[in-house]
Amino acid sequence: MSDIEFDQIGKLRIRREPARDSCFTVVRNDTEMAEHDGFSDLARREMVHRHMSNEITSIDIAAQCLVDFPDALWSLRMELARQCWDETRHVRILHRRLQEMGGRKGEFPISAFEWCVTSAIDNLPGRLATQNRTFEAGAMDVVAGLARNVREAGDEETAYVLEGILADEVQHVRFANRWIKKMVAEDPRTLMRVAQAIRFLAAVNAELQAKEGEESIAGKSFETPEQRVPAVNISDRKLAEFTDDEVAAILRQAGFRSILPEDSHA
Amino acid sequence: MSVADRANSVATFRFIEVRLMEIIARWTPTTPEMELKILFGRHIWDFAQHADALGKRVFELRQPEQHSRRPSEQYLALLDDVGAIRDTSERLAAMYDAVLPGLERRYREYIAASDEILDEPTVVILNRILTDLQRQRQEADRVRRECDLRRPMPQHIISSERSLQTVVA
Repeated sequence: MSDIEFDQIGKLRIRREPARDSCFTVVRNDTEMAEHDGFSDLARREMVHRHMSNEITSIDIAAQCLVDFPDALWSLRMELARQCWDETRHVRILHRRLQEMGGRKGEFPISAFEWCVTSAIDNLPGRLATQNRTFEAGAMDVVAGLARNVREAGDEETAYVLEGILADEVQHVRFANRWIKKMVAEDPRTLMRVAQAIRFLAAVNAELQAKEGEESIAGKSFETPEQRVPAVNISDRKLAEFTDDEVAAILRQAGFRSILPEDSHA
Repeated sequence: MSVADRANSVATFRFIEVRLMEIIARWTPTTPEMELKILFGRHIWDFAQHADALGKRVFELRQPEQHSRRPSEQYLALLDDVGAIRDTSERLAAMYDAVLPGLERRYREYIAASDEILDEPTVVILNRILTDLQRQRQEADRVRRECDLRRPMPQHIISSERSLQTVVA
């Protein structure tokens, strides 16, 4: 784990950002991002750019797991290798969409927060719990809502892209859920490593996420972190093999807001 | 080639494919260009699939499933040298202009030396891999053009690779 160094944030040790094209401005705090309220052309372009950047980060994270854990079981390494490929397709399609919208890479600030947290964790169950089971599962909630909202705003093409990506993310979350369960069954101490990883994520989040009332450089005003929890994508979380109890716990965090499947409106 | 000889070769090829996957995985976070990260991410999955297919074939040749065998120390040292390269253009040159063409040559030599009926399962796997390796080199060329990257000649790596008669230890 020596190729990229670590940084100290208070008492926390996070991984320094991975290499990025010089056209990108890399920031660490939500307030330094150019996130907009609403679904204007500019807001949607920034959203696509932000998701494209997050997918680049996901390639970095999955690739680094292959490097750092050469003794992981081959079938798990295959899942991570496949994830690398999936994330490259996500970057490509979001980049294509960004260009169709008149945007360009480097147009907005980006963050590699997920890398800084996940790649600082020294064990594979902890990384799967953080990146796949938390960040990517959270992305399932966010992306499902975004797809619906951009479609309502008349942007059918971006909705189509986001829904395609969402299907892949379900598998990334599902394989992590399966492997964590398997590893816990084989060694109950794995559960402690998973819990430590999630506590670490919460601590870094508390240091770096925007506080209530702060604004992004684009003027978006942030609510409390609790109010920012997205509506839960129950159907995809179940497909990704979260248990009913786990879904219920996530729903409580989200104030029982959930995304109903499109079919339920029919 | 005896069954044991074939198993040794296939297990060695598997080791190499896994190592290639690890080398470009290591390069991914430290390479700035988005287009290169995309290239590497795609090829990580290619190499993993190659290793997986070879690992299943090894099992059919009386070895444990997904068994790998270390190549010769000289070839391993060459791969270590390639993995340690920091410059993007030199990384691409070493991998796609030196290591992969060398590997293609070794796979062709294996196919030429094998019994095409008795060892057809291995031949089929290697032919599929050869198609992938050629595509990978074409993709690397395309990205080099897109990113306007220079193309240094990795002569020392090509020479080292060619000087090794076999990669099987």
